Amino acid sequence: MILLKLALFFGVLSFLTFGGVSSVVPEMQRYIVEENGWTTAADFMQLFAVAQSAPGPNVLISSLLGWRVAGFAGSLVALVAICAPAGVLAWWVSELWERFRDSPWRSAVQRALTPLVVGLIAAGGYIIATPGSPDWRLWLIAAGSAATMVVSKVNPLWIMAAGGVAGGFLL
Amino acid sequence: MPPAASNECTPPRNLSELFLGFLSIGARSFGGVLPWAHRAMVEERRWLSQADFTETIGLCQVLPGPNIGNASIVLGKRWFGLRGAIVAFLGLMGLPYCWVLALALLYTKWASVPLVSAVVTGVGAAGAGLFLATAVKLGRPLAGNWAALLLVVAIFVAVAIARASLLFVMPVAVAIGLLLARKGLL
Repeated sequence: MILLKLALFFGVLSFLTFGGVSSVVPEMQRYIVEENGWTTAADFMQLFAVAQSAPGPNVLISSLLGWRVAGFAGSLVALVAICAPAGVLAWWVSELWERFRDSPWRSAVQRALTPLVVGLIAAGGYIIATPGSPDWRLWLIAAGSAATMVVSKVNPLWIMAAGGVAGGFLL
Repeated sequence: MPPAASNECTPPRNLSELFLGFLSIGARSFGGVLPWAHRAMVEERRWLSQADFTETIGLCQVLPGPNIGNASIVLGKRWFGLRGAIVAFLGLMGLPYCWVLALALLYTKWASVPLVSAVVTGVGAAGAGLFLATAVKLGRPLAGNWAALLLVVAIFVAVAIARASLLFVMPVAVAIGLLLARKGLL
């Protein structure tokens, strides 16, 4: 039953994922933590940290969440459910794509999606950095990391490592 | 294959070559898969021309779904049909899946140690900061466009503060976005 819920949730999310998996992290948090109480916001944040620090596609956050909710079966169900529906769509569309190459419709969609993706990714950052009541230490680490990433070309892995060190001292 | 493909490029010859290629992408992809996908498929193995790669990734970025997962399915299918799509997807996800689960098991074992928990939480906060930076970078072209910025703020408030469901926010935001784009405001 819980596997079915996971499959349904991630399957629908597959079609709502625009501009990368980052943009649906807020929805994952809302459904798994707020709506179903399958885990805490603090644990969600830590699973997010684990997913971010391992190599591989961002989408693997879904398998970690599935694992937390329903073990190994959950991890596979979540990963396949978020990939397969959109994958089937991409399969079909890749044949039609050439025809729409110069369609004005295509650029309108792209322009319409940009504010959506920007808003959603910013919301993801805020939600993850605020697992409980606002904590200035978490916001400080997040702000420092964001500023570093914007102004420099430092490898994000170093930024996350620095965040870990800061967490060890501050938290 | 689209005409843009250069004749110097040769697609993978068999399924095991396809699998190993995607395995090498997944295994190395620290800090984002895209640069590694480019290196493995365009520079090292020369499966695709630069233009073809850009076109395929562009398609996968416009379509819903995890971009790189889509790319593995589209390319695998192009070269070997259904079997290719499955093999490429498994090659891409196989190792990172094992690693991220192993890391999570390790973390769960040590999570009760306060220092471990503090460090991992710090990493999470830094990861959240990277999201904010990504939003800033992606949002740069919107600077000065009040309609777009208003839409960004509205979406942020709806999702982060009001915690509205994406099933509601997405259609409304896309409809408003398309309307504004058609009126030339985006």
